[in-house]
Amino acid sequence: MKHLLLKLEPIIWLLFGAGLSIGTMLLTGFVIVVGLAIPMGLVDPSALAYPRAHALASSWLGRLVVLGLIALPLWKGAHHIRSLSVDFNGGDRDGAVGGLLYLAAGICSVLGIIAVAQL
Amino acid sequence: MAESNRHMRVEILRFDPDKDEVPKSQEYEIPVEEDWKVLDAINYIKDEVDPSVSHRWSCRMAVCGSCGMMVNGEPKLTCKTSLADYEGSIKIEPLANFPIVRDLVVDMDGFMDKFRKVKPWIVRAKERAEDMENLNEKGTYSQSPAELATFKQFSMCINCLLCYAACPVIANEPDFIGPAAIALGHRYNLDSRDEGDRGRNEIFRGEGTAFSCSFANECSEVCPKNVDPAAAVNQAKLGAVVDWAKGLILPREGA
Ligand code: FES
Repeated sequence: MKHLLLKLEPIIWLLFGAGLSIGTMLLTGFVIVVGLAIPMGLVDPSALAYPRAHALASSWLGRLVVLGLIALPLWKGAHHIRSLSVDFNGGDRDGAVGGLLYLAAGICSVLGIIAVAQL
Repeated sequence: MAESNRHMRVEILRFDPDKDEVPKSQEYEIPVEEDWKVLDAINYIKDEVDPSVSHRWSCRMAVCGSCGMMVNGEPKLTCKTSLADYEGSIKIEPLANFPIVRDLVVDMDGFMDKFRKVKPWIVRAKERAEDMENLNEKGTYSQSPAELATFKQFSMCINCLLCYAACPVIANEPDFIGPAAIALGHRYNLDSRDEGDRGRNEIFRGEGTAFSCSFANECSEVCPKNVDPAAAVNQAKLGAVVDWAKGLILPREGA
């Protein structure tokens, strides 16, 4: 497990880093628009009416963005929790925790790809 | 030296490997001067009170990097840290995360091994004799000021080891190659004259486990030379990832 994780570390870190950026930039923007701007009447709710939102999300770029919003934060979360568990484990990076977390993130990412493909 | 009327209690961690099972602390009450650094207090104790105290120092001007110690639990260059910043008492211990040799002196061997791993010198693909066309008339490799600027900051490290004492990952994972060594390796990877980045990237990805860094940024907080090792480590991670991805696409000779 340790060996495999060490080998996969670059790709995991890349997904984690992307999740971190998505989490701070895109998700913040998403929350500002959906959570604040629309309820406060700053943005016309019909701008994100279902047919429009669906058309936007099911464009190629839209699908990519939605997939990014679903999948990347999972990797960020998994990596954060693994770092936490490494800390509590006295620095043991070999624990099954990391493997399980990344497996979960991987499965959910695949489900995300399937969902986005069906939009 | 004029006797001052300000006194301070200085607590020093003592350890004599021949006598002690575990380190113990010893207190000294000494007169201090307004303009003293922490190092001056330790030197006063060694010179005037207790010659058995062992510590390392040399330049007294934050250049040699040998006077790093924990001051009230924080890694500091003692020659750069003013006593005036502390009230009443002060506690001095050897740098955290290193084995103690004696009193305030730590064992740097583990660090030196990590240091050598990143090949902190200019690596060229060809032997010098076959590399002549790349040498200028002075027999050196030319570099523009802009190329120098890309890594200059990372070359200012004085190996004081404060970053290792501050790093929460080093505390947990002794194999982690650590901030100063990665910053130095990255410095050479950025150097336009160097061609050894593949080997260093392999170390970063492999046994040096650069990805263990959780970006706590403590190394950059304590760095007395503003090297910003945390930035170097994270740039090095990116470099190692890009290099890894390139290796997937382009077959490599000898790989
Ligand atoms: S004595 Fe040289 S850095 Fe402090």
